Amino acid sequence: MGCETSKYAAVPYEEKLRLFEQVKGDERFAHYLYGCYECGVCVAVCPSARFYDFSPRWIAQALAREDADLVYKFMNEDVWDCSQCFSCDKCPRKNSPGGLITILREVAVRNGLKSAKDALEGYGRIIYKIISTGTQVAPDMLQPAAFPDWGPHVKEISENLQWWRRALPPETLHTTETSWDVSEQTLRELYLIWHVTGVMEMIKQVDEGLHMILMDVMEEKLEEAGFDLEATAED
Amino acid sequence: MNDTVKIGKCVIRTDLHYLVDSHCWVRFNDDGTLTVGITDVAQNMAGPVLHVYIRKKGMRQKGQNLATIESGKWVGPLKAPVSGEIVEANLALEKDPGLVNRSPYGDGWVMRIKPLKLEEERGALLSGAEAVEAYRRKIEEQSIKACAEVAECEPK
Repeated sequence: MGCETSKYAAVPYEEKLRLFEQVKGDERFAHYLYGCYECGVCVAVCPSARFYDFSPRWIAQALAREDADLVYKFMNEDVWDCSQCFSCDKCPRKNSPGGLITILREVAVRNGLKSAKDALEGYGRIIYKIISTGTQVAPDMLQPAAFPDWGPHVKEISENLQWWRRALPPETLHTTETSWDVSEQTLRELYLIWHVTGVMEMIKQVDEGLHMILMDVMEEKLEEAGFDLEATAED
Repeated sequence: MNDTVKIGKCVIRTDLHYLVDSHCWVRFNDDGTLTVGITDVAQNMAGPVLHVYIRKKGMRQKGQNLATIESGKWVGPLKAPVSGEIVEANLALEKDPGLVNRSPYGDGWVMRIKPLKLEEERGALLSGAEAVEAYRRKIEEQSIKACAEVAECEPK
């Protein structure tokens, strides 16, 4: 059942409470949760609720009741079923279950929960692309083995990608490894942002190998530009 | 002599050494250097490799990144199996990264390194039946499906 927590009975309550306190301590929390009329609008508009045993209302209510057991269960399972579309922001009480789920996910990632590692495992290259180039989708992701559901057409796309991209009018789109050309200046600024906002630390918690290769890419670029990463981290 | 063992569809060569956790193989060369590459298990998990970015020179400590390997949906490091100096990178991989898939233990080698403290670090490298057993355990424990002999569903 969707609210059954016995699976996590072996996890000490103190640990569940510690994580809950981190969620509640987030500065966005008070702006995302005001109460619940039990009207069910959030569930009615939620696309994930149609396909999974998932309810944004359960999550908002468990947080409002401060039910650390149930919140822990949601953090390990349900929050990864949300598509983060924020349709649930239609809440007449002005709650944002989608926003609460963002916080729950961030706490799961920061604490290196297995659920976060499992959920993000399939997105390694996408995370790598966003962090290292600022563009999420690389045209060369379109490979027959990765997209068998696209049918035979994807083989033709992948084989001719380089030429088809060159046919696009803006020269900045003549790329296959990134969605568009990204300037060195943009990259340097991005890398600094990832460092000073703690994003790199989050990645380290869920995928140490990915963190390692990203640091390799960044160190070189930032050193070339004369930035001192260690000094930046201390600021 | 048969020097290969198959786990599902993945090949493990018993004449090489392995750091199983890093999916890395090592060959001891006569000149004291080590040739390093990724295993058949790793290339099966990655799928068709699109890019291999190789460090071309410098010292690397054990566990540091030697090369970044990218496939359609996956990216990962080749971690240095031992500490040492990079003496040669397989530049053919930059033009033809698919070598890693077609010949992971041959033409798809990634680099040669001159080890710094081999005696201290070689204990972690497994070979022969011991390596095969360790890999078999890892594949089972982590439910690595890439080695399962299943019908391909690639479009024809």
